[in-house]
Amino acid sequence: MNGRTAHPAPMSVARLEWLRLWRTNRLAALLLLFAIFGLLGPVTAVYLPEIIGLASEQEGFEVTIPDPTPPDGIAQYVGNVSQLGLVAVAAVAAMALAVDARPGLAAFYRTRQSGAASWLLPRWLATTLAAVVGWTVGLLAATYETVVLIGALPLDLVLAGWACWAVYLAFVVAVVALAAGVVRSTVGVTAVAVVGLLAVGAVGAIPPLGRWLPSSLVGAPTGLVQGGLDPGDLLKPGLVTVALTVVALVGAVLLARGREL
Amino acid sequence: MTTDGTVLATHGLVRQYAPGAGVLGVDLAVPRDCVYGLVGPNGAGKTTLLGLLSGLRRPDAGTIDLAVGPDKLAVVPDVPEFERWLTAAEVVALAGTLVGSAPSPARVAAELARVGLAEAADRRVGGFSRGMTQRLALAAANVGDPELVLLDEPSSALDPAGRAAVLDLIAAWAEQATVLLSSHILSDVQRVADQVGVLREGRLVYQGPLQTLLDRYLSPTWRVRVRGGVAPLRDALDATDWVQGVDDLGGGTLLVRTHSLEQGERGLVVVAAAVGAAVVAMVPEEADLESAFLALTDAGDAA
Repeated sequence: MNGRTAHPAPMSVARLEWLRLWRTNRLAALLLLFAIFGLLGPVTAVYLPEIIGLASEQEGFEVTIPDPTPPDGIAQYVGNVSQLGLVAVAAVAAMALAVDARPGLAAFYRTRQSGAASWLLPRWLATTLAAVVGWTVGLLAATYETVVLIGALPLDLVLAGWACWAVYLAFVVAVVALAAGVVRSTVGVTAVAVVGLLAVGAVGAIPPLGRWLPSSLVGAPTGLVQGGLDPGDLLKPGLVTVALTVVALVGAVLLARGREL
Repeated sequence: MTTDGTVLATHGLVRQYAPGAGVLGVDLAVPRDCVYGLVGPNGAGKTTLLGLLSGLRRPDAGTIDLAVGPDKLAVVPDVPEFERWLTAAEVVALAGTLVGSAPSPARVAAELARVGLAEAADRRVGGFSRGMTQRLALAAANVGDPELVLLDEPSSALDPAGRAAVLDLIAAWAEQATVLLSSHILSDVQRVADQVGVLREGRLVYQGPLQTLLDRYLSPTWRVRVRGGVAPLRDALDATDWVQGVDDLGGGTLLVRTHSLEQGERGLVVVAAAVGAAVVAMVPEEADLESAFLALTDAGDAA
């Protein structure tokens, strides 16, 4: 018997969720993905005009693209993570929240924990924190590189944009939790959640509704630094997103409670 | 809450999946401090019943009375699974923590040693064999000091050595908790259980002490070996009204089935003496649950 067995770290739900993120490399994957997008965003903004210019010359016509501005660096980053980044967050969340995907494991938790909230909420919280950390790392990389390569950014507005995405990521993970109450498999949960988020986005495209829905938070970091949005404009969708997050979590708990193995 | 010395009782428990499938009005009574074997063929409703008892499924009708709190009820499903990235020691520690009694490292080590996994304490369980996972499930169940343990087919997918190890653990468990195990492997149940319930097509067709089942549904049988010809003794036994049947096994050996144990014990020697048979040996056949089960279900079919 070695020292680890003699003195293992005390087990708790918090440690369980940390180990879930750490040992499965899900945290590392999120950090790496967002960091890559954060580093590539400003570089793309800087070199895109040159790339397009060279391509258009070879084709025999001229395309003039204006020089990049600092908001373009953030816009590129947000554009990238709005698609693949969110799908990655949904997949990582589904791996944690699809509790009933493995019946034997589900029985382990369901016969030991007093209610669905006790196993769903820690997983939602841990996955949300991991996603927010990933988003933060990427945004820091994008902001630093933008300042170095293009120019200064209004850091207070960058911070406001960060907060908008933090709230939105909590909503995304809550939608995944809700999807886990509808279907069981990890792939199915991911798919249902992504479709649900796309549906929210589609409804958000309707002008009067868009200003209220979570989807308006997705473009907030770009809109804020470009000057098209005021932080006050985001208060309503922010509150609606928080409310919908709570509703999704309550729904997820009720669905999990009502489900049989 | 039960009041009659049972740790678990159900009353008219029903969970129907399709006409005739599921659990159809089961009145279970599990006495405290016993090993209760729930037997029946595949599809008889054993897993459904255990799912209802463990709270993983809900009944359509009927009630379940438990004399223990939820933190003192341990459930081991037929295919236990754990987080593949946890070590065996972490699984046991987590299991205890989740039921409100975070175990000490020494307790975790003791539980793993009890199931023969001391050397694997620091290994991640994703690489465990089926038998190791089953034993880990027993350790994870025991660490919460349960008063009632529900085991669904605990030995069905194991090799003979694995089955023997798991059955030994269950037998040892009976000293400190009530154990309810379901199995379609009747020899396993006979080895560890003192109470049995026989499920057939969702209904409990027998419930009580194992020995009573064996006595009630099995004809007492003796293997009688005689020197010389067996014909006189065979003919005399055939003509005796308390003898159910006589089979000539060859080699001077008869297999004699009687209606009652007492008739056989007292009468066989008398008949043998009456015909002058030289009895070399008269050995009672050991009763087994499988034969009793078949007799019981055959009786049900006949009815």
